[in-house]
Amino acid sequence: MTTWHVSEVVLRRWIDGLAALPDSTSVEQHLLVCGQCRDRVRVARRDEPAAPVPNLDLVWDRIRDAVELPRASWWERLLRRIGLPAHDARLVAAAPAFRGSWVMGVLIVLGFAELAAQLGHTRGELFYLAVAPLLPCLAVAVSYDPDVEPALEQELATPYSAVRLVVLRTIAVLAVSVPAVVLLNLIFPAHAPFLWLLPAAGFVTAVLALSTWMNPLTAAVAISVVWIGAVWRASTEGAAGAVLHTQFQVGYLVLVVVSTGVFVARGRHVREVRPRWNRS
Amino acid sequence: MRGDRRSDAELLAGIGVGDLGAMRELYDRHAPWLSIRLSRRYRDAEVVADALQDAFVAVWQKPGAFGGRGDVAGWLWGIAIRRLISRLRGRREVILGYQHAEDPVVPAAEEQVLLAVEYGDVGQALARLSPQLRAVIQAVVLDGLTTKEAARLLQMPEGSVKTRLSRAKVQLRAALLEGLS
Repeated sequence: MTTWHVSEVVLRRWIDGLAALPDSTSVEQHLLVCGQCRDRVRVARRDEPAAPVPNLDLVWDRIRDAVELPRASWWERLLRRIGLPAHDARLVAAAPAFRGSWVMGVLIVLGFAELAAQLGHTRGELFYLAVAPLLPCLAVAVSYDPDVEPALEQELATPYSAVRLVVLRTIAVLAVSVPAVVLLNLIFPAHAPFLWLLPAAGFVTAVLALSTWMNPLTAAVAISVVWIGAVWRASTEGAAGAVLHTQFQVGYLVLVVVSTGVFVARGRHVREVRPRWNRS
Repeated sequence: MRGDRRSDAELLAGIGVGDLGAMRELYDRHAPWLSIRLSRRYRDAEVVADALQDAFVAVWQKPGAFGGRGDVAGWLWGIAIRRLISRLRGRREVILGYQHAEDPVVPAAEEQVLLAVEYGDVGQALARLSPQLRAVIQAVVLDGLTTKEAARLLQMPEGSVKTRLSRAKVQLRAALLEGLS
């Protein structure tokens, strides 16, 4: 393909970093088009060049490690971009709440709840009131319940603060589910827009606090039962919307504060409670 | 090229379907000269190793970015030098290694040009430039970097690259005209 090749002497001087400018320019230009001379560089490079060059075997090992790792998900890369360390980003992104199916499921449930509320039927409003405040806490519970997500077992087996993981995931889950709910609320204004946010926050913190004693999903289900019962009772006594009245809102605020305190104080138990007591 | 040896483009196709063996072959073929050429641009072998790693990981992730035009080697060099530059972002050390260069996409009749550069007036004229002006000419004209990329690689303001580039052109032109007369 070419009749001109780099001379042995010039090639060696270039490898050693000793070639003068016109020579090195020619060598570099030529190497771009000549496989034979590239092979000669490969062979000649085995004799240690005079100027420092990287160890190619070590670099290859690093390349192999990098390409054999599964590629970071879209979420994980986003989390890293906003400054979360790579390790944290992977753990947070591994939560099921970030899988498309989960987000879709949440949106569909909320969509139906909104639709029902729009139809004006009291049952519709009841359904919406019952569901909207519970979704964030269920999403949080599922995102770190060991039964739902076996991978967490291994994640927590490595030395890593369980509290840190739970808090990071909670924040991330809320960052996904709350905007989704708020957006739906804006599109279909409900009777009590945004008032459910405070009870929702209360339930999320309560799940975190209770998870220091029990499995988080169990806690979330228990809270759901209590809440649905309360909404049902309010509706039989008049209006289901009563559960969002001011005096109750104060109660939800207290729940947020107390639960946060409990979770902070008992954080070290998070790991012990994750146990297999509910498995055979 | 010869016999059963796969061409670089075929290796890229293999990488596209996740063939790590093809990746290894491409690396063995090109990492030696790339590593030396990068080392001529930046003296720290650690940084060069990082840039080389970044470049090949990028190739693994997007082998299809090679459009089939020109040589794989030139394409690889383009990736590698830009990875080196992005590794240098935020570094303050003075660059020592910038001594040589050229254009990633090479015309077919390159031998004549090369001989002219090596033995002819252009090479002489280049060699007579001050080291500062030569570094800028090498980065922008011969390595085909943008003034912004050259500024990062040479660790000087973009304005200085432009000033030195025009000053170097004036000197080169004068030197070449002198040679003609």
